[in-house]
Amino acid sequence: MRVDRELDNLLKKVEKPARYTGGEVNSIEKDPETVAVRVGFAFPDTYEIGMSYMGLQILYHILNKNEDIYCERVFAPAMDMEALMRQHGRELFTLETFTPVKALDILGFTLQYELSYTNVLNMLDLGGIPLKSRERGEEDPIVIAGGPCAFNPEPLADFIDAFLIGDGEELLERVCMAKKACTGKEDFLKTISRYDGVYVPAFYEPIYNLDGTIQRFDKLWTDAPDRVKRAVVNDLDKAEFPVKNIVPFIDTVHDRAVVETFRGCTRGCRFCQAGMIYRPVRERRPETIRKLAEQQLANTGHDELSLLSLSTSDYSEFEDLAVELMQMCKAQNVALSLPSLRLDSFSFRVLAEIQGYRKSGLTFAPEAGSQRLRDIINKNITEADIYGAVKQAIELGWETIKLYFMVGLPGETYADLDGIGIIAKNIMELNFKLRGRKGGRFRVTVSASNFVPKAHTPFQWEAQDTPQQFIDKHNYLSAQLRIKGIHFNYHETETSKLEAVFARGDRRVGRLLEKAHALGCKFDGWTEHYRADLWEKAFAETEVDIAFYNYRKRSYDEILPWDIIDPLIDKAFLIEESEKARAASVTADCRKGCAGCGINRYAQCFCGVEDLEVADV
Amino acid sequence: MFRYILTFSKMGTICYISHLDLMKLFKRCFKRAGIKLSYSQGFHPHPKMGFAQALSLGYWGMNELLEFETDEEYAEEFLRQTLQDMMPEGLSLISCRKAGASKKTLAARTEAAEYIIAIPLTAPLDMTGQEIKARYMGQEKIIAWKKQKKKKDLTEVDIRPMIREIDFVPETEALFVTALLDAGSASNLSPELVISTLMECLDLDVERSAVSVMRREIIYK
Repeated sequence: MRVDRELDNLLKKVEKPARYTGGEVNSIEKDPETVAVRVGFAFPDTYEIGMSYMGLQILYHILNKNEDIYCERVFAPAMDMEALMRQHGRELFTLETFTPVKALDILGFTLQYELSYTNVLNMLDLGGIPLKSRERGEEDPIVIAGGPCAFNPEPLADFIDAFLIGDGEELLERVCMAKKACTGKEDFLKTISRYDGVYVPAFYEPIYNLDGTIQRFDKLWTDAPDRVKRAVVNDLDKAEFPVKNIVPFIDTVHDRAVVETFRGCTRGCRFCQAGMIYRPVRERRPETIRKLAEQQLANTGHDELSLLSLSTSDYSEFEDLAVELMQMCKAQNVALSLPSLRLDSFSFRVLAEIQGYRKSGLTFAPEAGSQRLRDIINKNITEADIYGAVKQAIELGWETIKLYFMVGLPGETYADLDGIGIIAKNIMELNFKLRGRKGGRFRVTVSASNFVPKAHTPFQWEAQDTPQQFIDKHNYLSAQLRIKGIHFNYHETETSKLEAVFARGDRRVGRLLEKAHALGCKFDGWTEHYRADLWEKAFAETEVDIAFYNYRKRSYDEILPWDIIDPLIDKAFLIEESEKARAASVTADCRKGCAGCGINRYAQCFCGVEDLEVADV
Repeated sequence: MFRYILTFSKMGTICYISHLDLMKLFKRCFKRAGIKLSYSQGFHPHPKMGFAQALSLGYWGMNELLEFETDEEYAEEFLRQTLQDMMPEGLSLISCRKAGASKKTLAARTEAAEYIIAIPLTAPLDMTGQEIKARYMGQEKIIAWKKQKKKKDLTEVDIRPMIREIDFVPETEALFVTALLDAGSASNLSPELVISTLMECLDLDVERSAVSVMRREIIYK
């Protein structure tokens, strides 16, 4: 596919023009005339970020295997390109055929983080597509959205025709094929709303109490389901996984072959949305993983292989798999990267082997500074674990330790913040003890992120700290951590506030989003592009009350905006976990025994796991 | 060890792939084709391959050169064809041949490069090619501003001695320039400096992005 002269002229003026040209190895070329349904897979951020997202590769591969469907990619143009496109009246286009997105049948956004929402609106606008669902006619594409943020779809309910909730491997193709069979938008939306995992917001109307909370959801079409069940792929081992991944021409965030080893997590951290909404744990068999890795490497020529899951070492046959992959990679001059390893002696042997001489930093995520607070959040790591692992790391020559914490967790006190300082100092001390007073170039980096309560977690009822509370805590920590060798950094307060509004917002925060977009907000997750002044204006003009969404503790009987979505986890379980958090009592990893979240009524826990070992977790 | 030189063209949209990204692209193509490159020794082995000279982002190249080394011996045409099958649109492999006996890399052997530059014109120039050449090359010095590698400030350089040959063909819609310029580690002249000094000399007001550049040939010892 060739770029036309007009586009070529724009490309000569922008940074990284290859973001916009497509044509990469393994990208799919089809004759659009021969397919029944044309789909745009839209990632609301730049090319480099979107192309590092494995879900895109999975769904692109599945849809394009189907001869009736042509799935093309769409990314948010960077600021320089957008300005030129608007100046020249060039509408947003697909990378495969440079087709204006307006001409597609379906435009599907993946919602990976709340701070990309203004980009969703901006991309619709750049595509010449009316922003609001009800303003779009039969000639416009159907606009759908999926991904983890779709688990609270309400903030985007006015803009999206249908949300796809849960695993997309089977559902997305089914939805696309329904487009072929249906006659019009209404027929189509009614048809797909019968599928598990499809939420059509136009079929519901939230009714509010005087205090602003939700009284009930009224159905505007009687056949719409009362609650939308999340879609689940039961057998991950048999699920489609790409082996001919698109290989970007330019550097992306992650430029490597990737195999997903398992989905779900058994640890039950109470702040973690992924740990709840991706239940149950489903594994791919080791032979499948090895075969996928081999084929991907052969088809892409990548020189790095990584494994994808929520916790690499929790894979049931991790040791055998790691050894096997290590041998395979070594023979092919491929680097193996194993993220989020649990640091036991086996992991150290693996790391020593794969990292060789140059050791990158070791990262721990205690998340909280005291055992009490770690019990509250159910983060199953003790200080003895950390020091034991750090001791080994120092002895093996590591010189950089990174520690991740969250501030603003429910039940947090300043004593817990002191604990963060104590852990960092103890690690410095440990280094002095082991390597003498000078201690080499040893560094400890402490990173603090701000707690954002998420839908469908035991903390969904909790209040978020105000920006002032966050700032006070950051300042307190900065003072505590002003020590040679310790580096402290923390996450922007303002964006955490914004993230929280959309993470738990209802349909009424859509106005705020629309206003912010109209004022020019975009790329809110990028420090250099985030416009605090414009957001403040948007809040003021739309009178959206931040306190109502962020700083208020909800009661268990309040109807939450995302209650319309059934994550297949019982609310009673979330309440029980929330109560246990308040009592600082822990829940064991569910490999050690069922915690009773309710998922096993719909899907088989540990599907694909040969022998469930419960010994060392 | 077996060393080969691959001649290829880089035309069309692929011109927006940078030098480093093109290097990665070739590396992956070798891997996918199952052709085993020799690797350097040390803690971070990297494959032995390199271009004769980097081609700037946005330039087209008609006869670019890539040199690489393999442990096994391959037939030249087999290499060319196997790699060609792996190439994205816009990269055509013209030939593959064994490198000569010289131990120096192609990059070290490169001494000049020939470019064709097209500068679009809004109004026809009232000069013949000869007259343009006389005006441009008639200057005692052709002073260009060059960015220093280490310091950020600009310094003056006289580029005239680095222009080996230059010819002009004015057409109604564009001025075509053929220029043989110093290239390589000893003396190197970027066509960008020829473009900027030429525009100044002829008093042309054309946006840089409208000018196209193609490298026709790389000349090496």
